[in-house]
Formats: sequence, C-alpha cells, structure tokens
Amino acid sequence: TAMTSQVKPGDRLPQVTLFDGAPNKPVRIDELCAGKSVVIVGVPGAFTPTCHSSHLPGFVADFDKLKAKGVNLVICVAVNDPFVMAAWAGALGSGDKVLMLADSRAEFAKALGMDIDLTAVLGSVRCRRFSMHVVDNVVKSVNAEEDSSKVDASSSCRLLTKI
Amino acid sequence: MMHRLGFCAGQLGSLRLRLAGQLLPARAMSLKVGDKLPAMELVEGPEMKKVNLQELFAGQRSILFGVPGAFTPTCSRVHLPSYVRDYDKLKAKGISQVFCLAVNDPFVMQAWSDANGAEGKVRMLSDTQAIFVEAAGLSLDLSHLLGGLRAKRFVMVIEDGVVKQLDVEPDPTKATCTLADEVLQSL
Repeated sequence: TAMTSQVKPGDRLPQVTLFDGAPNKPVRIDELCAGKSVVIVGVPGAFTPTCHSSHLPGFVADFDKLKAKGVNLVICVAVNDPFVMAAWAGALGSGDKVLMLADSRAEFAKALGMDIDLTAVLGSVRCRRFSMHVVDNVVKSVNAEEDSSKVDASSSCRLLTKI
Repeated sequence: MMHRLGFCAGQLGSLRLRLAGQLLPARAMSLKVGDKLPAMELVEGPEMKKVNLQELFAGQRSILFGVPGAFTPTCSRVHLPSYVRDYDKLKAKGISQVFCLAVNDPFVMQAWSDANGAEGKVRMLSDTQAIFVEAAGLSLDLSHLLGGLRAKRFVMVIEDGVVKQLDVEPDPTKATCTLADEVLQSL
C-alpha cells in the first residue's frame, strides 16, 4: 500500500521532477502545468500489454476531443527510464499529442499516493493506472483503476465526461 | 547523454539478497572464468517464461552479453546491433546461441528486440530484479540516471554452462571490448 494517501480533487500537484527523453532533460511537473488545463495519465509500464494496446491509444485518439474541452496538454507518466519512455512514444506514434515523461525513481507516483509494488513482475515499484484532470496545478478529478491491469475508470472516454 | 560513471562498491555492501528463499551476503560471488553459471531463474519474453540459467546454457557454446539499458543510446546504436549483424559469423565459429541480458522487464526487452530486428538471432533475458548481476558482481548503480540497479556492459563466452571468457567494459557508456567483432576475434 502507498505511504502517501491518494491524491484527490482540491490537492495541488506536487513539486516533482520528471524527465523528458533523457536523464539530462528534467522537467518540474508543477512548472509545466502552471496556468494550463492538463490531463495526466499514469500507467504501470511502457510497452506492457494494456498500457500499449488499450490505455494510451485511447488518449491519442481522443486528443482533439480533449482539446475541444479546453485541455492544453496531455501527459503520460510511468516509472520507466527516459529512454524507454521516448522509445514508447515513438512506437505509439503519440508524437505531439501525448507528452511522455519518465518518473524514473517513482517520486511522482509516490507523491500522488499512486505507487504500487510490481517488483515480482516488472522489477520495481510502479505507478497505478489512473487519469487525472488538473487546472493550474489544482486537481479537478482523479480516476484510479482499482485493478491496474484493466482500463475502465481511467479511460479517456470516461475522463471526457468529467471535464 | 550518459555521464562517466564511477563504481561504488560500498553502497551495495550492506544489501542482503534473498535468493531462492535463502539470505546471501551481497558479495556472495563474483563470476569469473572457470565458474559454472548459477542455477538462477530469469525471464524470457512477454509470456513471462521462466528460464533456468544452467539448463539454458548446458551442452551449448553460447554468448551472453549484458547491457545497462534497453533503448539507451550506446546499447541501441552500437552494442545490440553488432550481435544482430554478426550473428551468422558467430554461428560459423561454433556459437549456437546468443543472449542479451538487461535489468529491464520482459515487455521492454521484447519491444527493444523488435525495434532492432533481433528476432531469431539474439534472445532477450530479463534479469528483472537484478538477481543475476548482483550475484555475479556485474551490477551497476544507475539510480541517478535510469532509476535503479542495472547490468554492467559485459560479454561472456559460455561452454556447457561454464564461463570461458568474460570481458567487462571499463566505461559502461562505451562498447569496445564487448562488441561482437571483438568476441569473434577471440573465438
């Protein structure tokens, strides 16, 4: 179980550094999201079956619908290194639609109370599957999957109904 | 860009490994030429197939090379491609199987294999919890760059489960002595 209680509407985004494509390209998530309407999607692992074939493609496909609702930026976060995240972005063709950021040391997942121990299968603590809508760094809605191997509450179409 | 890395032996000194239900001190063994491979289980492929190292390398003349990370620059641009490219030459010199090992999960390893056309040539082994590299003295603390313990860059020639050759790259960001053409010259 997570050490921090799970993030909820009304909370501010934590001041955590993520990585954009390489270990020497840090990004502070709160600075990136300041003044914007942002969707953040958390996933257990780049290239893992559900993340790759169901969860992320939904957000890539629904990008225009999200923009129509005022969303400026869609970010996907996973506890993977920045090179793996960049390669996954390439494989998904997410291009300029979804920004893939590496939570290499699970700091963001832990700060959100979204960490889950998947050491047995994936080798480390990972991020639970969730989607979140944040406006100017204040969380508006959080949709966490109870079962991270499924995509239901955290899907893009579910999130669209909440924005 | 990966920076020059120093090896911090002391940091791992107090780590205790749980191996097949038994506690072992972290310095349990450092694999060297003449040693048999340990009877450890690693994982091959997204179906999460468990493979026993002793069984995998029994009765064969094999290459096992290790990389710090799937999709990292040197591993991807130079190291893995050298083994894919020289696979037939290696087979001509009596190598019957080539394996690449990394501390990456099997889904990432499969995707990396696909991206490099390694199918049918280089098989991917996931040392997902770093148990092999730790026990073999081949682990590298890359927490600050990649988020955790990784494999050093190394290559082994293994005959019937026994290590006959072992080369470790002194600078893990480079691939020199661990490239396929270097190994070919020594076969």
